Amino acid sequence: MAKSTKQQLEPQHNPSINLKGTLIAVMLLGVFILATWFGCYYLFLSR
Amino acid sequence: MHLHKFEKVWLIFGMGSLALFLVILGFAAFWKGTHPQSHIETIDPENVEAHDSFKPENLGLREVADGKYIVNIVASAFNYDFGMDADGKPVKKIRVPKGSTVLFQITSKDVVHGFQVAGTNVNMMVEPGHVSRLETEMKNVGEFTVVCNEYCGIAHHQMFATVEVYE
Ligand SMILES: [Cu+2]
Repeated sequence: MAKSTKQQLEPQHNPSINLKGTLIAVMLLGVFILATWFGCYYLFLSR
Repeated sequence: MHLHKFEKVWLIFGMGSLALFLVILGFAAFWKGTHPQSHIETIDPENVEAHDSFKPENLGLREVADGKYIVNIVASAFNYDFGMDADGKPVKKIRVPKGSTVLFQITSKDVVHGFQVAGTNVNMMVEPGHVSRLETEMKNVGEFTVVCNEYCGIAHHQMFATVEVYE
């Protein structure tokens, strides 16, 4: 029983899994959050 | 624990952003002195005149030093009391030179009001029983409308005034 559970989890630990699309999506979101945050902070400092 | 290389990248990116924002927050709070506008200073809302700043003769704009101003205001439904001018008319517009430091002190006689000088960083909640203070440097020239941004009743939209910053 324990052995089959381990086998089921195995693919998630596979280092060759392709996360390129995830990386791009995460970075796009991150850059968007940073850009809007600094945009607001610039407004605060300039007013 | 094994982490994918990309997972490490976005974890470091996320934690780095958090650290950066905390540093900026600390800079704003401890260096630039950005604090809540009400410093838990209480006042009797039924008798605001008992407070020196809100005596009728002390309302409105006053120059306290070169380039330093204090504005005392009493908000009530549906008016901002900036005091009276020389002709005995209520003041609805104040003028300060560009670059001056202005301390706004405001309290409410009745309900919660807002005090926003649109286009500047002056934006406070005005609560009955509390004194709200905000000091700011008027960096930009222009006419800025003061509006109440907390719904206070039927004539809420008639609560406004003007702050003019001249060259
Ligand atoms: Cu209002």
